[in-house]
Amino acid sequence: MYPRAFHYHRASSLKEAVTMLSQLGDDAKLLAGGQSLIPLMKLRFANPQHLVDLNFVPGTSYIKEEGGALRFGALTRHAEIENSATAAKIPILHDCAAGIADVQVRNRGTIGGSLAEADPSGDWAVVLITLATEVRCLGKKSERTVRFADFIKDAYTTALAHDELVSEVVVKKPPKGSGGAYIAFKRSAPVYPTASAAVQLTLDGDVCKDAAIALGCVGLTAIKARDAEAALRGQRITDKTIAAAMEAARAAADPQSDMRGSADYKRALVGALVKRAIEIAVRRARGEQVEVGHIYA
Amino acid sequence: MSSENNKKNWVGKPLPRKEEDRLLRGRGKFADDIKMREMLYLRFVRSPYAHARIVSIATSDAEAVAGVVCTLTGAEILPQVQPFIEIAPEPGGKIKDYPLAISKVRYQGEPVVAVIAESPGIADDAAELVQVEYEALDAVVDAEEALKDANILHEEAGTNRVWNGVFEYGDVEKAFSEAASVVHIDRLHFHRFSSTPLEANVVIAQWNPKDERIYYWCNNSFPSFAIQFLSAHLNVHIDRIRVETSDIGGSFGIKITSYPQMAVCALASKKAGGRPIKWVETRSEHNTSSAHGNERTFRDTRVALDKDGVITAIASRHIDDCGAYPRYEPLGCVIWSQVVPGVYRFKNTRIDFTQTVTNKCPVGPNRGYSRMQHLWFLERVVDICAHELGIPADEMRLRNYIRPEEFPYTTPNGCVYDSGNYPKMLQVAKGLIGWDEWKKKRAAARKQGRLIGMGIGTTLDSGTNNFGQSQIVNPGAPFSGNSQGANCKLDIYGEVVVAVGSCPQGQGHETTAAQVVADVLNIHPDLITVRTGFDTERNVHTGFSGTYASQFAVSGLSAVHGAAQKLKAEMKRLAAFVLETKEDDIEFGTGAQGPELRAKSTGKSINYWGLANIVNVNSAVLPVEMHDVTLNCRYIWRAPFKVPDKVKKYGNLTLTYASQLHIAVIEIDRDTFIPRILDYVAVDDCGTVINPAIVEGQVYGATAHGIGAALMESCVYDAVGNMLTSTFSDYTPITAVNMPKVKYGHIETPSPHSYSGAKGMGEGGAAPIHTISAALQDALFAEGIIVDDSFNNADSLFRAMVGKEIGQAAKLVTVERRP
Repeated sequence: MYPRAFHYHRASSLKEAVTMLSQLGDDAKLLAGGQSLIPLMKLRFANPQHLVDLNFVPGTSYIKEEGGALRFGALTRHAEIENSATAAKIPILHDCAAGIADVQVRNRGTIGGSLAEADPSGDWAVVLITLATEVRCLGKKSERTVRFADFIKDAYTTALAHDELVSEVVVKKPPKGSGGAYIAFKRSAPVYPTASAAVQLTLDGDVCKDAAIALGCVGLTAIKARDAEAALRGQRITDKTIAAAMEAARAAADPQSDMRGSADYKRALVGALVKRAIEIAVRRARGEQVEVGHIYA
Repeated sequence: MSSENNKKNWVGKPLPRKEEDRLLRGRGKFADDIKMREMLYLRFVRSPYAHARIVSIATSDAEAVAGVVCTLTGAEILPQVQPFIEIAPEPGGKIKDYPLAISKVRYQGEPVVAVIAESPGIADDAAELVQVEYEALDAVVDAEEALKDANILHEEAGTNRVWNGVFEYGDVEKAFSEAASVVHIDRLHFHRFSSTPLEANVVIAQWNPKDERIYYWCNNSFPSFAIQFLSAHLNVHIDRIRVETSDIGGSFGIKITSYPQMAVCALASKKAGGRPIKWVETRSEHNTSSAHGNERTFRDTRVALDKDGVITAIASRHIDDCGAYPRYEPLGCVIWSQVVPGVYRFKNTRIDFTQTVTNKCPVGPNRGYSRMQHLWFLERVVDICAHELGIPADEMRLRNYIRPEEFPYTTPNGCVYDSGNYPKMLQVAKGLIGWDEWKKKRAAARKQGRLIGMGIGTTLDSGTNNFGQSQIVNPGAPFSGNSQGANCKLDIYGEVVVAVGSCPQGQGHETTAAQVVADVLNIHPDLITVRTGFDTERNVHTGFSGTYASQFAVSGLSAVHGAAQKLKAEMKRLAAFVLETKEDDIEFGTGAQGPELRAKSTGKSINYWGLANIVNVNSAVLPVEMHDVTLNCRYIWRAPFKVPDKVKKYGNLTLTYASQLHIAVIEIDRDTFIPRILDYVAVDDCGTVINPAIVEGQVYGATAHGIGAALMESCVYDAVGNMLTSTFSDYTPITAVNMPKVKYGHIETPSPHSYSGAKGMGEGGAAPIHTISAALQDALFAEGIIVDDSFNNADSLFRAMVGKEIGQAAKLVTVERRP
């Protein structure tokens, strides 16, 4: 299928893009990597009258380490994050970037576009919510900083105003003794996960000082599994506490049955993924180099 | 010059494919690459309902769009066409099938209106403006439910039942009365899946008013069948239909049934004043409405076994679901009977076979067509009996396999298995996978509570079928035998050019045909040009020409070989005349002036150009008695078949039986329920191998397709007939990340039924589906689970293991042991 006719606008700066959005109104959409938008347009599920292309704006793709944080330009491609030694300083970010869809999608898709899309099945939100993340949002008048926990409001809904865009994503480096892992089960590479789990733990010896656990694809947004976190926080990591976290994660999940799996199965699966992610996170927190990949059918 | 005694055999060599260079550089010519002056583009408006009455259709808004040339509706084409030929006798034969819905729609995605415009984008825009009012009807998506006839799809047929027949051989009751044990299996189910060719269907049609002919450029994979249907449907003499195919990006049988869309494109061209019409199917259209594979349910199966676990009889009731329109069906109702006993020796069987329509996409002959469903059923029977009786899976097979010394083996229904050695394949496969070591590892893992299963799948890929089997489903069907045509010529400047009536989709016909001719003429295959791709005007096709059903190595290459032999005889005769010697003094080879024929006695020679020159442009030098030498030799190969006995349903239905034996070791994760293939081996026997590299590639491809079908790919409908797997995100065709490393082995039992000993291959008999079902059952049998469905993903294993919803052995299987 071909998309419906639309007007194409090429922004030369993020500021200009914001101006265009405000002038063109609700029928305008931003084009970043286009890996969600273009297929939706081709299926005619999305029919914007105007596309504002950000791909020619200079200086929007970068990964920098500054003041104990990693800063990602909005148009930084997943593949750039996957291949970045800087980004690998937070291993869970590498897990996420390297496992998004397939090579073609990673080469085009961007972190900013993915967050602004807020697809309930997107990978980035699950991972970023386990870290101290801030989203820089550029509007017509000013740029503001939104805590990630406040950024995604609902499925496909963010804190962005219509004439605002994501300009940068800032992730604070976790403290020493912290480790994380992100694991998804995907039926094949290009598809969204059936379920996924992100875990970031900070250890003090054998005791878990802090825990962040998030679940993906089992609700309308990434779910912060607070009871699962509480099951580990202040505890030794043992089979028993892991089992408790698993059970709490299952209880926190709110999945729907679809072609990726039945709701009951997704609930069972997400617990198993939390368990695996905890095991990897613990090893990484102890300084071990662990490669982790998604599980495929 | 090389002499005939030290000639090199090209057949049997892993020659790189001649077509590779073109295809890998993106220089292939596919149907969508064809652009023509004044070309128009067609988009279908399709039914959102699985079953509904059409109340009204309004096309005026669409027609008002600038760039729209016309629209076409079912009502409009009705007076111009005949319903498509139905292969079935009554009641199925009463079904009226048109390429656009007339008064009802019967599956989601059925074409209702065609919109024809100056560009594909305009056609898409205008299609959105067509208004169709529907009155929804209850849909029936389950085959057994459909057979109750509460909702009838085709009123003119009066029933949803398309066909029914009983296939009974031997003395079934006697076998059951003498059995040491009888195993009952309530229900087994083979799921609906399809193929996902990289290139979807494409049709370009031109109904040219100047010569009143219809021209097609398309990727239909059985054009000689399509034109027979189109000629009758469009009321056009078959010679007025020209079909050309070029490179095709996969078919797997699914593109055989694109003739309805071909009909619409021709009618659209006629309405548009003869402008060429292009229709390029989208992926979603392909997934919802091209063709799916047959779904089959096996009910009330009873298996008689002797005290040693040897199966003596199988009785069962099979229900095949062909979707909304039979199209190529009910051929599937008989095609499975090419392999009635599978690879086993039992002589007594009764299968009550019924086919029904349902409100789902029509089926088409999907790779492994109709035989794989039955072979899967037999492998399930063998494994379930083995587990229930406590006989190891390998031992069970050895006790029941047809023995190597029994070939050629006549099956209970008169099919002749040409050759094979199943015990040897099992031995090779066990060796490659390390069967005994895996048994130890499995035992150790089970002690730790891990779920590891080892499964064997033995299957058949029957090729070159006897179309006389159509008379078993319809005694009035005017088809029997099988044939293929080829032409081999020396062109004016001495080029060797071969044309074949096949339309390959990746099978390497250009290469294997060149290998065959190279051996006949004793020249290098690079010196031979092979024209594949169908073209009615080349006049090398018969009514069976196309590429389907694992047969090119037999039917296609036999035709090529026959044509090359004819050419060789003519060349020899002509050379003997020119070189003033006897024919047996002539040898073939290559000399300083290229390929040539030489008189051994005098050393004088003439090259190909010299020979071709005499016949084509210097013919005054030819004496009258040589005027029949044309160096342009057409040969039609015919399979040595007889018409089967329609009443007894008895006779040889297939010429060659390639066999496959796969073994899988699978672990099911207890936490995630994800089945992981730990080890996999595929052993193939397709008789004498023409090109080992091509055969190995076909084995890997068929293995991937089968693993995908077993674990990932299913065409799913909800209760009201909405198709839930219309995109690749939902259908998830297998990709590289899902593939295990496959160990490949092969044995060769040459076929006595083909000139070269080769057997048709490529479909692969769906070996992975049988094998994975077997391995999963081996992992789960101790948990009280049998594998009763051909599709098993993590979710279904969860539902069996935790939900106890499916696969519960206690509910599905009973064993009656007789003292």
